[in-house]
Amino acid sequence: MRSDSRQPGTGLVNRLLAYFVTLFLALTLNFFLPRAMPGDPMALVAGNSVRQMGAEHIAELRESLGLDRPIGEQYIRYLGQLIRGDLGQSYRYSGGLSVVKVLADRFLWTFMLVLVSLTIATIIGTLLGTWAAWRHGTWRDVGLLSGLFALRSIPAFWLAMILIPVFAVQWRLLPVGDSYSFPRPEGFRRVTDVAYHAILPITVLTLAYIPTPFAIMRSSMLGVVGADYIRTARAKGLSERAVLLNHAARNALLPLVTIVALDFGQLLGGVLIIETVFNYRGLGSMMFEAVKSRDYPLLQGGFLLFTFGVLTVNLLVDLLYTRLDPRVRRGNE
Amino acid sequence: MSQTDVSYGHLIPMRTSRKPRLSQGLYTVVGLAGGFILLVLIVFALFPEKIAPFDPSETVARPFLPPSGEHPLGTNDIGQDLFSELIWGARVSLLTGVLVGLVAVTIGSIVGLFAGYYDNIGSTFLMRVVDLTLALPFLPLVILIGAYLGPSFRNIIIILILVSWAAPARLIRSRVLETTSQPYVEAAIATGSSDNRTIVKHIWPAARIIALVQVVMVSAAAILAEASLSFLGLGDPSAKSWGTMLYFAQASGAFLGDAWKWWVVPTGIMISLTVLGLVLVGYALEQYMEPSLRRR
Repeated sequence: MRSDSRQPGTGLVNRLLAYFVTLFLALTLNFFLPRAMPGDPMALVAGNSVRQMGAEHIAELRESLGLDRPIGEQYIRYLGQLIRGDLGQSYRYSGGLSVVKVLADRFLWTFMLVLVSLTIATIIGTLLGTWAAWRHGTWRDVGLLSGLFALRSIPAFWLAMILIPVFAVQWRLLPVGDSYSFPRPEGFRRVTDVAYHAILPITVLTLAYIPTPFAIMRSSMLGVVGADYIRTARAKGLSERAVLLNHAARNALLPLVTIVALDFGQLLGGVLIIETVFNYRGLGSMMFEAVKSRDYPLLQGGFLLFTFGVLTVNLLVDLLYTRLDPRVRRGNE
Repeated sequence: MSQTDVSYGHLIPMRTSRKPRLSQGLYTVVGLAGGFILLVLIVFALFPEKIAPFDPSETVARPFLPPSGEHPLGTNDIGQDLFSELIWGARVSLLTGVLVGLVAVTIGSIVGLFAGYYDNIGSTFLMRVVDLTLALPFLPLVILIGAYLGPSFRNIIIILILVSWAAPARLIRSRVLETTSQPYVEAAIATGSSDNRTIVKHIWPAARIIALVQVVMVSAAAILAEASLSFLGLGDPSAKSWGTMLYFAQASGAFLGDAWKWWVVPTGIMISLTVLGLVLVGYALEQYMEPSLRRR
């Protein structure tokens, strides 16, 4: 029901084709979005500083950015720049730092946060979901389920806003924000310093991520417990524990991989706001700063990188899924 | 956090051998609890001037006052009464939820009905658009569009509708696909029922419960998203929204002192309660009105 037209593993060629078509459409959207907005696209493509410029200067800039050309020609030019890995210049840095360079600087911080918290959350969520399904219909299951419903209703950035004053300001256990202390310590201390600054953001993100794997694992397990091979396993006289771990959980894990990956785009959204609260030096706070300073090339670059990342993760998981589950190895579309 | 996807479809298992030990009455309790929360919030949203002691847009006291008898939650950075702001905030949140939920699900229903019932180039194209919309990362897209359109309440609604219609469209389409191949629908078509009549009389009745649940779930997601966007400063800064309150709390460093206890904490609780109320009602509706989902 969730993913009818994104059935996993419908043939390598089809998947690759769909991937490139979607990527291409996203690139196109990124090009037309600023030009379809009300107002002068000049102000959107070149930033608000336009308003302080003279008419002559504007015309000059318009020409140098190619905005006086027909839209088709602009589009070809844009695609050409993308192929060369040129995302334009960020306005915020007066030296004219390239967007690609800013993104490269920021990317690893976000990647680390997401990777660590998603891993922890998947492990905890999977275990809790398995346990809840095994105790299906009891008060423990309902309690856990309601707890996670509640957790899912809480805005993650708000969680951060109440953990910071408690842990960082009142108890002074953890830093208020940023990715590292200044000046940066040398050697091994540098690593522990980064870890120390990452504890709170990772905690918040993990809490925010747990409900997804929990819900999937619980429902997936519930689908499995009634299956014939589970009854057979029980009839063989295996212990409940062995049935649970070797038979039920193992088979329930497959959908988890796909759905967590398909939700990856949504999960990334959380990190964006969390980073802003913590002033963490990743892509999220970069987007936020870019919004504040109306730094459109940087915003577009960030959006493209996020889109590229999400689509690529989806593709890889689709391909991986095909390897994992022999039943879908043959195309079924 | 998975801010958009508050659909709990995957909570529902395919089949189960163990009978739940709790009675079906539980869903009623869950639904009523959610309904009660929403009722209180609707009263806040409809009659804020009767409940709130002050006008939230007026400076009524010194800034950064701690809670007192006169100001139960103290005052903000420009001396406005925080408790009154909190009451008025329900209006923006619920309005966002209702507008986005209704419009997005209406669009989604039309697309889903069309793309599910007809099998032609138009429906293939529509599903491609749905796929694209769902594949794009939600918040970066919303932030990008929000930055172009500029901060305003109307723009937030438009953006949220633009990104929220696709998930209901897909859900409704798959229900339509299931229904269209049912014998009773095939029989109706065979006996000469026109396309319009078939859709209205046979297909839509089977799909509308999904649409109803989706209105609730999309509303919940929209309220969370509105809070996030306002918190990022993409909302109307003069609107009394909970997200905006948190934005100003963050901007004025409320958590360096004690102010977060009566500024940040109650605001977040209100957002969470609103979302939770909707999610509970949606979940109960789904269990209660969809016979095929019972006992799961």
